Amino acid sequence: MIPETLKTSLKARVASALTPREAAVDVMKELQAHYGWLTDEAVEEAAALLGLSPLQVEELATFYEMIYRRPVGKKVIHVCDSISCWCADCDKIIQHLKDKLGVGLGGTTADGMFTLIPCCCMGMCGDSPAMSVGGVPYGKLTPELVDEILEMERNNR
Amino acid sequence: MPKLIIDDIPVEVAPGTSVLEAARSVGITIPHFCYHPALAIAAACRLCAVKLLDGPVKGIQMSCALPAQDGMVVSTTDPEALKMRSLVIEWLMLNHPHDCPVCDEGGECLLQDFTIAGGHSHRRYQGKKRTFQNQYLGEGIQHEMNRCIECYRCARFYQDYAGGTDFGVMGSAGRVYFGRFQEGPLESPFSGNLVDICPTGVFTDKTGRFRARYWDYQFAPSICQHCSVGCNTSPQNFQRETIKIVGRRNDQVNGWFICDRARFDKGYLNDPQRPREPRLDGATCGDDVAVDAAAKSIAEFVRKNGADSLALVGSPRLSLEGMVLLAQLARAAGGARLCYFGDPAQQQGSVAAARLLREENSAYVRDIEQAQWIALHALDLIEEAPMLALSVRKAFLAGAQIFLVDGDPIPARNTPPFKYTAVESLDQVPFEKGGKGVIICGAGKKDPDLLAQIASCGAKLVMLQPGANGFAAGLLAQEHAASPLADLVAARQVRGVVCFEADVPEGLLSGLEVLASADWRRGPVEAKSPIFIPTTTWVESDGTAINYEGRAQRFQRSRLAGLPLKGLDPKYYGNATEAVTLHPPRVHREEVPGGAERDAWQVMAQLIARLGGEPVVEPLEGKWSALRSLDPEGEGIRIFEIVAGE
Amino acid sequence: MELPLFRHNRPNRVVTFDEYREEGGFEALKKAFSGMSPNDVQQAVMDSGLRGRGGAGFSTGRKWSFVPRDLPGPRWLICNCDEMEPGTYKDRVLLEHNPYSLIEGMTLACYALGVRHAFIFIRKGYEKAAANLARGIEEAKKAGLLGEHILGSEHSIDLDLHLSAGRYICGEETALINALEGKRPNPRSKPPFPAVKGLWQGPTVVNNVETLANVPAIVANGAPWFKGLALNPEGAGSKLFCVSGSVKNRACVELPIGTTLGDIIDGACGGMRDGRKFKACIPGGASTQFLKPEHWTLPMDYETVAKAGSRLGSGGVIVFDEGHCLVEATLNLITFFARESCGWCTPCREGLPYVKEILTRIENGRGEEDDITILREHVKYLNYTFCALAPGAMAPLDGLLRDFEDEVREHITKKKCPFKG
Repeated sequence: MIPETLKTSLKARVASALTPREAAVDVMKELQAHYGWLTDEAVEEAAALLGLSPLQVEELATFYEMIYRRPVGKKVIHVCDSISCWCADCDKIIQHLKDKLGVGLGGTTADGMFTLIPCCCMGMCGDSPAMSVGGVPYGKLTPELVDEILEMERNNR
Repeated sequence: MPKLIIDDIPVEVAPGTSVLEAARSVGITIPHFCYHPALAIAAACRLCAVKLLDGPVKGIQMSCALPAQDGMVVSTTDPEALKMRSLVIEWLMLNHPHDCPVCDEGGECLLQDFTIAGGHSHRRYQGKKRTFQNQYLGEGIQHEMNRCIECYRCARFYQDYAGGTDFGVMGSAGRVYFGRFQEGPLESPFSGNLVDICPTGVFTDKTGRFRARYWDYQFAPSICQHCSVGCNTSPQNFQRETIKIVGRRNDQVNGWFICDRARFDKGYLNDPQRPREPRLDGATCGDDVAVDAAAKSIAEFVRKNGADSLALVGSPRLSLEGMVLLAQLARAAGGARLCYFGDPAQQQGSVAAARLLREENSAYVRDIEQAQWIALHALDLIEEAPMLALSVRKAFLAGAQIFLVDGDPIPARNTPPFKYTAVESLDQVPFEKGGKGVIICGAGKKDPDLLAQIASCGAKLVMLQPGANGFAAGLLAQEHAASPLADLVAARQVRGVVCFEADVPEGLLSGLEVLASADWRRGPVEAKSPIFIPTTTWVESDGTAINYEGRAQRFQRSRLAGLPLKGLDPKYYGNATEAVTLHPPRVHREEVPGGAERDAWQVMAQLIARLGGEPVVEPLEGKWSALRSLDPEGEGIRIFEIVAGE
Repeated sequence: MELPLFRHNRPNRVVTFDEYREEGGFEALKKAFSGMSPNDVQQAVMDSGLRGRGGAGFSTGRKWSFVPRDLPGPRWLICNCDEMEPGTYKDRVLLEHNPYSLIEGMTLACYALGVRHAFIFIRKGYEKAAANLARGIEEAKKAGLLGEHILGSEHSIDLDLHLSAGRYICGEETALINALEGKRPNPRSKPPFPAVKGLWQGPTVVNNVETLANVPAIVANGAPWFKGLALNPEGAGSKLFCVSGSVKNRACVELPIGTTLGDIIDGACGGMRDGRKFKACIPGGASTQFLKPEHWTLPMDYETVAKAGSRLGSGGVIVFDEGHCLVEATLNLITFFARESCGWCTPCREGLPYVKEILTRIENGRGEEDDITILREHVKYLNYTFCALAPGAMAPLDGLLRDFEDEVREHITKKKCPFKG
């Protein structure tokens, strides 16, 4: 169940859209922010808000890279594995993240803090290798910097 | 009219025709998966590639998405086009499992056909095949997602064409998945069409799994008997059992599709409890014995009580042939009374509709699809004529306004695939604006005055009949001034009845003597009848049905009458241990077990002969003789001219 | 001459609304609203030779001219800020420094096209750019430069942000339209083109951020001025080049169209990093072919790069040095495209993973002679897809087989990657 305030603001977002569907991505993102991931319940709530069936929301939810239909950690680490970051040896950074966090790609740390997911080009090619942690972008990564960032993000809940 | 050349053959087609259809018109089948004439163009599978050698467009093009234009020179056999097509097959076979031996689609699989046609045979890809989890989609459809070739036909049909919202496509790239949000029965009353529309075995008919291959089936053009729409079907039978029923194209009636009732509601055809043997006083007897006894009983009753205290009772379940002969039988019986309906309200509605509808005002399906407004008069369309809901949806999508007039709230399970406005009376429907309007109502149980009022609106009319052949029953009831049985009973005008495929409620039967009956199912009449003659159902008989719009359509026997081999009673085997399910008896016999059923009209013809009437050679006599040559694979013909020409 | 796009930029912060106005911002809007007809604005863009900066390089003026003038009902403008082409980050840099050129440019485009309501479609991850735009839109509205009755005229224009959730295919203009409508972002078939039937079936123009951000300068200074910015006679305007890979300073720079590849790398980026040797580059984002050392003096413009066998594309220059294995680089690109296929058409959905499987084997020393044949078949036949994603994916593969076939063969014959120890 989502709080009334969130429901009201989502209803307003849907009402302000030219067609309810246009607000679908916003609604899914808001619900994801609330639950941490887009739960089955959230899909049904989104459907009710948008006047769609849960399946029709699911059709959209499963298309997008940044909508999570499975539980994720408190903060999702998206680490770029596209060409510019590859040039900057992102493989080393990804391996370091795996080792440091003790998870494989797609895995969530035992404490439920981080989920590690490779992602497509983040548009940070000038600062490659790059990643984002809970939506905050970080560039020019080195293993040492990654350690610092993880430590900071872990404490900065 | 664009003129083009396809594989050296000059072709001229209507503007807007695709190159794929243009090729088909001269007998060239260009392989395709995603293309389906009933659905919007997807151009997704890329199999229908052809090469344009000259003209306004050049090079490799997808023929489904390319409108034929003047001056095009098309090659379907150009090496580049062939290579593209073989690559498409190779791409699809990267992941398609090699499970044809255990796939119900085997033998009727477009992917099999076009894989062979595509020329790809050697696997070069060294990766693994991707796999999916299947979903439970209800008792009608089996899901096998690994077989999917992602042509999107299912999702396009289910959501776009049929308006369903609980099935679609999820994921992206190689992860696309066709299914439901969560497992569960598909909600659309048209879900069964996924079986027909899937070019491979992702969706197969669960009710007929693992029974037979395509080439094993006996089938013939048939007409669904569940409602008065008269959808064209093709029952697929194996060893005297109707295994599957699939849709058959008729653009004047049902297009390509059928509803789930038409497809899945078939258990009664195969029911081992169907009455199969002629019976006299509770004991099985020969066919002749039963017919002789029935004739004798009729003659005696008439002699004792007078012909007008006898009623011959039919129903809208009879074929037109049966209805016509019922009247002849009444004459042969010295002028017995005729009933085509039991319920007076049903009869007056049905007769009124048959009288009010004419060539000019009876709506064609395209009138519904192209209407600007449609009024559903006190009607649950999904209940009474599901397939018309898809026609109304087409109009709705094209911008038509839909009204539900004076209707009860529609139950959630019957929510139609279009939006409508509920209004209290026809006055609230915008007739004045003119334009193309259609009123759809149920004729049965409607007051004739109301029907007349509806008919006077100037809109095209759809008056749905009670029963598959209700229109014919209404016509014949009117022609022969037949009375509903309930009226005759109430007026104490009849004391005895002979029933043919008639469902007479027990209340009516209590004061009546049932002399004899003929039917393919059990019921109070059959239970009370001392003489019983089994008849065939529509799958086992030839006949004619007239649908709600007055369209006569011929259905053909698609299998022999008789007990299905599966689960045959042990008495048909040499010994009890041999009676293994699914295996035919090993004892040779000449007759088909339980195969004594005949078409109801044939039973009537025998009785007419026994009663000294003129021998019947051909049931469709007089004005109806025009229907003798009706093509079962044609579109049927509207009977208004035949009726008027009398 | 001062180049139009980055001239308002401040180091490490976004220019303020007042600063932008003080430097001549929104003067073009005033000029248009006080003396130019919509046709005049459209004509200026047409004459300027401005070409789509998102990658395709189609004439912006011509694209606008396809919108039927007399069609009733609403028409739409969409700014494509779904910048997900690997190696491309110019729109982000622009918007993180200056959202106003885009806002002004879109307002002018709306005026020219008769659009009442426009959208900016922004990719996931560009929240900072989105925040700048949101603030800029409010500021412009307050100043009467956007919204109801712009500058007191009868023209009203609304600008809305649509924040996406991450998929490369959303950058394809018809997929973007589906995404904006809240449908699955599969591309639509063309024809009908968006200019005739686009967003909600209305006439729609979809333009890239950089394209639209150029419009104010064109309107303010005129088409001849814009043409004159280019270094080569055929070119027009400036271009944002965003460089990544083996250069010293990986940066997004605005340079005149026609600047040579060598001047971009040596001049703007300080040369190759750590004294490495230039091996090749992808000049315009992931879906372009390789340029080689022989192209060092190639003027970077649409036609010149096309003549060299590649495309100017988005201006995302990815530089490889002699230590880079281009089989692995191509594998990386193909992996991206395979993952980002929308799954609609067979060749893209199935063909890209096929190519990926083969390149993976080759890279891992398990390649076979036949693999090159199969790859070439894909290069050719993956052109016949529903949209341009797979043909784009084939560009670097085509380049690999054309320019670096020996390197591929070396993998196969040596049964290992020659760049790995």
